[in-house]
Amino acid sequence: MATACSVDNSKMADGSVATELPVAIDTKKRRAPKGTWLARDIVALATGRISRLAETLKEKTKNKSSVSPELPIVERRNWLIHQHYIRKDYDTCKVIIKEQLQETNGMCEYAIYVQALILRLEGKIQQSLELFQSCAILNPSSADNLKQVARSLFLLGKHKAAIEFYHEAARLCEKDWEISHNLGLCYFFIKDFKHAEEHLNIALQINKHDKTFMMLGKVHLLAGETDKAIEVYKRAVEFSPENTELLTTLGLLFLQLGKYQKAFEHLGNALTFDPNNYKAILAAGSMMQTHGDFDVAMNKYRVAACAVPESPPLWNNIGMCFFGKKKYVAAISCLKRAHYLSPFDWKVLYNLGLVHLTMQQYASAFHFLSAAINLNPRMGELYMLLAVALTNLEDVENASRAYEQAVALDDDKKGALDQYQEMERKVNLLRDGCTNFEFDPELMDMAQKMGAALQVSENLVWTKPGKDSKSKPNSAAAIKPPGAPLGTNQALGQAMSSAASYNKNIQLPTGVSKGPTMPFEPEPDVQKAPSLPIDPPGPTELAQSDNPKPRTSKRRTKVED
Amino acid sequence: MSESGSDGGKWLDAHYDPVAGLYTFSSCVDLADLSGDGESRLVVGDLGCGSYSMKLKVYRGTVLMSESTLLDLPAGLVAFFMDLHEPRIPAVAVASGPCIYVYKNLRPYFKFTLPGLEVNTLEQDVWQQVKEGQIDPLTLKEMLEGIRKKANIPLSVRSTRFLSLETSDMDAFVQLHNQQPIRRQTVITCIGTLKKSTADEDGVSCLVIGTESCDVYVLDPEAFIILSKMLLPAAPITMDVTGQFDVEFRITVACRNGNIYVLRRESDKPKYCIELSSHPVGLVRVGKNVVVGCTDESLQGFTQKGKKLWRIILPAPVITMAAMDLPTRGFQGVLVGLANCEVQLYRDKNLLSTFKTPNVVTSICFGRYGREDGTLIMTTKGGGLMMKILKRTAVFDDRDSAPGPPLAQSVRLNVPKKTKLYVDQTLRERENGLTMHRAFQMDLSRLRLATAKAYVKALESSLTPMSSSLSEPIKMNAVVQGLGPSFKLTLNIQNTAACRPIMNLAISFLYDESLYRMRNPYMRIPLLVPGLIYPVETFVECTSDKGISDIIKVFILHEGQSSPLLTAHINMPVSEGLMLS
Repeated sequence: MATACSVDNSKMADGSVATELPVAIDTKKRRAPKGTWLARDIVALATGRISRLAETLKEKTKNKSSVSPELPIVERRNWLIHQHYIRKDYDTCKVIIKEQLQETNGMCEYAIYVQALILRLEGKIQQSLELFQSCAILNPSSADNLKQVARSLFLLGKHKAAIEFYHEAARLCEKDWEISHNLGLCYFFIKDFKHAEEHLNIALQINKHDKTFMMLGKVHLLAGETDKAIEVYKRAVEFSPENTELLTTLGLLFLQLGKYQKAFEHLGNALTFDPNNYKAILAAGSMMQTHGDFDVAMNKYRVAACAVPESPPLWNNIGMCFFGKKKYVAAISCLKRAHYLSPFDWKVLYNLGLVHLTMQQYASAFHFLSAAINLNPRMGELYMLLAVALTNLEDVENASRAYEQAVALDDDKKGALDQYQEMERKVNLLRDGCTNFEFDPELMDMAQKMGAALQVSENLVWTKPGKDSKSKPNSAAAIKPPGAPLGTNQALGQAMSSAASYNKNIQLPTGVSKGPTMPFEPEPDVQKAPSLPIDPPGPTELAQSDNPKPRTSKRRTKVED
Repeated sequence: MSESGSDGGKWLDAHYDPVAGLYTFSSCVDLADLSGDGESRLVVGDLGCGSYSMKLKVYRGTVLMSESTLLDLPAGLVAFFMDLHEPRIPAVAVASGPCIYVYKNLRPYFKFTLPGLEVNTLEQDVWQQVKEGQIDPLTLKEMLEGIRKKANIPLSVRSTRFLSLETSDMDAFVQLHNQQPIRRQTVITCIGTLKKSTADEDGVSCLVIGTESCDVYVLDPEAFIILSKMLLPAAPITMDVTGQFDVEFRITVACRNGNIYVLRRESDKPKYCIELSSHPVGLVRVGKNVVVGCTDESLQGFTQKGKKLWRIILPAPVITMAAMDLPTRGFQGVLVGLANCEVQLYRDKNLLSTFKTPNVVTSICFGRYGREDGTLIMTTKGGGLMMKILKRTAVFDDRDSAPGPPLAQSVRLNVPKKTKLYVDQTLRERENGLTMHRAFQMDLSRLRLATAKAYVKALESSLTPMSSSLSEPIKMNAVVQGLGPSFKLTLNIQNTAACRPIMNLAISFLYDESLYRMRNPYMRIPLLVPGLIYPVETFVECTSDKGISDIIKVFILHEGQSSPLLTAHINMPVSEGLMLS
């Protein structure tokens, strides 16, 4: 073995010496292969080599030689260029292209073509465009060159010019999926959804590709046609049942429409094929949370936390998982991380407020909730939670104003009613406890108005003798009514929709990202909310949007220490 | 023996020569019993330096047995039986440029050249006219350009070269070349073999060649005549051939336009087409299915008719692919060489094994080498040659494709621990929440009150550089120029009223007279036309050499009134020069 190797090596060395020698000598030294090959081949070879050595030398040789030398075939190294190009060995590719262009005086169309492709990959789009244009001059009948010119124009953002070139290319080459798809893409970018849809549909008729399905779905979503989008995605999933992106998108769409069963099915499929799919994990996890499967959801989130450790919705959901498992401190630290990562997300603030209410930290809860209200002043729930916090902080006046606001914003007034009655009970308790307690007449007035608004027979409630001998602890009594429904279902629904809305790729006009989202309520209600006449948030406490943040961040560092 | 993970257990490292100096692709590597002694040799078409010193190399065992020079870059190499002579020794066909060189017993035996392509008649006429001296080179150039624009048939090499020349070189070029007839030649891009009439392992095979001009030819092995010609929509990259020419065959060709075409016996046009969303790098047929590795780092499976079966994502770009066929064990798989220096073995979509290589593998060939049936031969990017032998005890379990829960699932979440400080603070808030809230509200109200007071005060005493009076709305800004001790102070005053001019204004300064000296501490302002900016300049000298600075207050006054219209505070820079006494 050893000897064999040494022989081998010595041969190798010999070979390398030979290559280093000047080429002219090399050709002389080389033994001509015996057989039926013509000597002319070797002459051609020799001249070919010399021609590659130096341009000037070549000219002389040509002029002297009586026989005209055979010109090298322009396309002779196209295959080699392509082999290196598809292997992403761009450096070697560029060297070969350079040699080939020198040899052919820049007439090798394919070499220029690949050079342009590489330039485009390197981000030099303008240069690539120029090269593709010169390709189109060398071979005007090629649709491919026109397609690439259009593609470069498209990448430069000149969509209209790109559309023209694509139409030109379509004239040369009918029924090309790529042209139709890219035309659709161009129209999509100039917001001509009708044409985009048309061309993408043509592309799908010619040939089915996941990309086209994806794009068509997006066009439908942007045009507000969710039903059509779902149809497209359904077809797409049928065509390629293992595409996780399609599955996730479809799942999220079903989720937004409230079809949880179907949503979960598709998201689950997506996770089967790609257990690391961040979007699917978040959406499926939030659905599990809704059903109380906190441990399973946490398992999924752990995977996502490794892949995307700085995602606000993920930490929000993890926080709410801990909340569901009654690990409040962990919940707070996760939520604070989410808040740190995305300080203007009112959903995180909402959840923080909720958890702090549960922890009986009313002063902190107040700050989080008032910050949330500043970011999203159109949601009754927030006012209600704020009112709970204020009630516990014994600021009865502002609490009732917050309740009033909540009632004004909340369509089904049940939550507010509960709270109202709760406050009444407390007032009664207070009145019974200390006989000389004087109520603010304004408060009384407000309470009566609210009673009327909520259609509660005011006499009945206010005159009810406060003989509630249960005497629950003050705070617990106040927190329970909102805490019970919010802590389990709705808040988690919040978390879920927050996860769903984080998906940047889907921007539904009526989507979650805009409206305050209670996925359990029909969407139109949410959309209506802003149009309701609303008094400006009166209480002075609501105007301090900037206060909670420094406090929380300070606390946060403490916690992390 | 380890069953999974590192697959060192399945392969024996037979030979590794990192400096073998081989530059080749999977299409240029083949294994064949070239001398009929029952021992397979490795035949490699080496691209040398990419432009010269191309060699045909034959290895036996670990030794380079012979090498002979090739005239052009080898695009493909196959070993095939071209006749029925005994002993059964295969010939080697090397496709390079427009020719196929056939070697027998490692000696050049025959050269086949592709037929020339159709030449544009117009082009021919034009050159004929030049030859007869009817037109001069410049006219020739114009006419050729015209032909290039319109004609369906591309120009010949000579014309394209001529079009790229400078005017001065044209005459010489025409003189040199006009005697020869015009020819258009194409290049072979890939080569394969197709059994002629029997499916036997040592049956006579036809050569199947794909060319740059998008043609596929089937050549007769004995007479080297073209048996069949088929046309593709694009130039082929690589092909797979199965069946027998006389019975039924199927040629699966991956093309440069990113499509895969399937050619059948009956038709000279592709029967099926698979459109991929990215370029195919390698194509391997396993049984009745086609496995394609694409540039988007995916491996896809299709049926023979082009129906998509599966698609998996690979960890790195595909560099090369080869079939791993072990008929003795009934095993068929696909070997994929990846850019991350790994070689993976797949059966359908299931990853069976992975092993690392010292460098990126550029070509893979699996088959019988020497007397060993399961030999894997690879060349690496630096020119290395690697040989591995499959252990006879090696078993490839068909593991389930579902990999189970990902590893990340067992990683603990990074959630900070509950600290005593935190608990204390929480308790404090619970106990004193009310007080805290009230104190906060109180302080907040105080803060707001203080802010409002300061604001009102500023407005009342016109301390702002914007005049708040409705009758005389004025804006001012100040610029200090110079390093000191003298500074130039420019006050830009603007009347922001819509149409009313302002008259009778004056400027006065208030400053520490021990520090600064002003040339004119009181100035009258001319009539202010609305909208225009009036620069008022004065000079300030710093009289102190202690390197301290102070504020100069600027007042704009209405004549006859003692309270200013507006006030500006100018923070003077520290004087950097010394006062000349």
